[in-house]
Amino acid sequence: MRFQRRAAAVGLIAAGALLFSACGSDNNSGGGSAPQATGVTCGGKQALKASGSTAQANAITGFVNTFEQTCNGQTVNYTASGSGAGRNDFTGGQTDFAGSDAALSSSDLPKAQARCNSTPLNLPMVFGPIAIAYNVPGVSDLALDGPTAAKIFNGTVKTWNDPAIAALNPGKTLPANPIVVNFRSDDSGTTQNFQTYLNAASNNAYGKPSTQTFNGGVGAGARGSQGVTDATKNTQYSIGYIEASFAQKAQLPTAGIINAGGGSPVALSTDNVGKAINAVQVTGQGNDLTLDLNSLYKTTTPGAYPIALATYEIVCSKYADPQTGTAVKAFLQTALSPQAQGTLTSGGYVPIPDAFKQRLSTSINSIS
Amino acid sequence: MSAALDAPERPAASEAFRAVSTARKVKNQLATVLVTLAFVIAVIPLVWLLVSVLIKGFPAIVSVDWWTKSLSGVTPDQARGGVYHAIVGTLVQALIAGIIAVPVGIFAAVYLVEYGRGRLARITSFMVDILSGVPSIVAALFIFALFISIGGLSQSGFLVGLALVLLMLPVVIRNTEEMLRLVPDELREASYALGIPKWKTILRIVLPTALSGTVTGVMLAFARVMGETAPVLVLVGYARAINFDPFEGNQASLPLLIYTELSTNPSAAGQLRIWGGALTLILIVMVFQLAASLISRYSAISK
Repeated sequence: MRFQRRAAAVGLIAAGALLFSACGSDNNSGGGSAPQATGVTCGGKQALKASGSTAQANAITGFVNTFEQTCNGQTVNYTASGSGAGRNDFTGGQTDFAGSDAALSSSDLPKAQARCNSTPLNLPMVFGPIAIAYNVPGVSDLALDGPTAAKIFNGTVKTWNDPAIAALNPGKTLPANPIVVNFRSDDSGTTQNFQTYLNAASNNAYGKPSTQTFNGGVGAGARGSQGVTDATKNTQYSIGYIEASFAQKAQLPTAGIINAGGGSPVALSTDNVGKAINAVQVTGQGNDLTLDLNSLYKTTTPGAYPIALATYEIVCSKYADPQTGTAVKAFLQTALSPQAQGTLTSGGYVPIPDAFKQRLSTSINSIS
Repeated sequence: MSAALDAPERPAASEAFRAVSTARKVKNQLATVLVTLAFVIAVIPLVWLLVSVLIKGFPAIVSVDWWTKSLSGVTPDQARGGVYHAIVGTLVQALIAGIIAVPVGIFAAVYLVEYGRGRLARITSFMVDILSGVPSIVAALFIFALFISIGGLSQSGFLVGLALVLLMLPVVIRNTEEMLRLVPDELREASYALGIPKWKTILRIVLPTALSGTVTGVMLAFARVMGETAPVLVLVGYARAINFDPFEGNQASLPLLIYTELSTNPSAAGQLRIWGGALTLILIVMVFQLAASLISRYSAISK
């Protein structure tokens, strides 16, 4: 009697498991699936593995959707585990390429070379503008320049009606309230890039090291970009740096930036960031496109928005397994296609401007 | 028994009932209030958590797609697709852990209760205590060091299962041990008296008697490991498509899905997925706990 009951229970569980495993599906078409990309040579390994930067994760998702539509049966599994973990996974041979907020450092380079048995390439594939978002009642279209932003984020400028801010915002009524700085309490490539910008654009008036942790010494920390966004939204007279997508979604106003060339404040927009990217200089040799970030942050191009996070795909120039090389090349070709680039703006990223796309295309086609 | 029967039937020396003093009444009231207060304080966060997860996650889980589709091909800001791939991963990884940890755990408990004497038993018992205090990230890093750094394997759902074994083992061993100790010695002695060997006594008398409690403990151990986040962060990559194969490729799981959406996706759809994923995880754990109590009710030995 009891054995029958037990057998029935086992049968029920098995039947349930079978039913459950039969009804799942990867097919999410119907809500307007991604368009096919053109000019891509498909083939090679079916499922590529990659990991790294969370900042470019949503861009990669858009690329992968287009890639799956374009190359039947091929996909990329991207784990957003952070840039450092991504580089470690790549040099440790766990993944086929890495997503990273910074190019390979001199200490990572030999490891990457050993893993690839060829030169690793840093390809800046995804650009995400960083917004200086603020919450000051009665003030819209705030303008800042590099030196003033640096002083705000290192605590030299303490109130909103400080002469330094007032000089950049003539005709606006600035309150006398103290400035509350919101920063990322967790390690982040966004923080690193933003502090690099502050140091570069202020000729080191910022005076703090540009590390992944915020060193400004003022304000309140919050976890993740979402945390800083929420903190800025909920705290009056506060200011913080976040990826543009977060500011857009929270409908926070963002400061216009007067770049190193002077002139009028430049609003955060796709076109304005594109101007800065087109003018950027490359320090990488040959097909390696490591960027000179100073040339981005200190851009003098009129109308160029200078604060952008450049995130790289770190790949091998020649893979030990040619199948992997073919698939990586196909994926990156897809990523550069207009169809994949079109998915970027909704995530707050900037499509790669045409002039820079040519350089990337040359590098990508050299991968084998 | 006999002491109660032999008790002298004469009145107690002093008065049996006295009026309760005010001081004692006050103390009683005070204690009642404090205990009730402690209970309420303990329950508030639990109810709060459940209610907020339910309210924020419910809109996500009511769609059929949520339970039958993966997130393959869905852009981050689209409120489409589901978490089927993550449910599959969570169950597969927990199952791997269970297949290894449950037999080992039960045998270890049988050893400790029925055979274990002397040094080996003491060491085993001590080690189980230590193992139950190991944080999940340490278990994950141990597996990472052993199998990936030294062994040269690549990340997979199977390795997550192995890390979960380390977390599941002490729970299974300790619980089974308790259950086996609850089996009255009279049953064992009666069995021996009938000339039945020890192994058969354990197999046919001790284990069936303790079965319901053991199964409950195993189910609770499953429920405990399914929400573990550290092993999936270290030992496996995230995938948006369904992967039944724990030995090859990336495999999603509910904690990993929640973490991924949390760290990358600020859109409304992402927020919905985070809460929906949390609610789904709670529901699955609840199903396991419910199954545990049902099994213990229906498989209990009738007296």
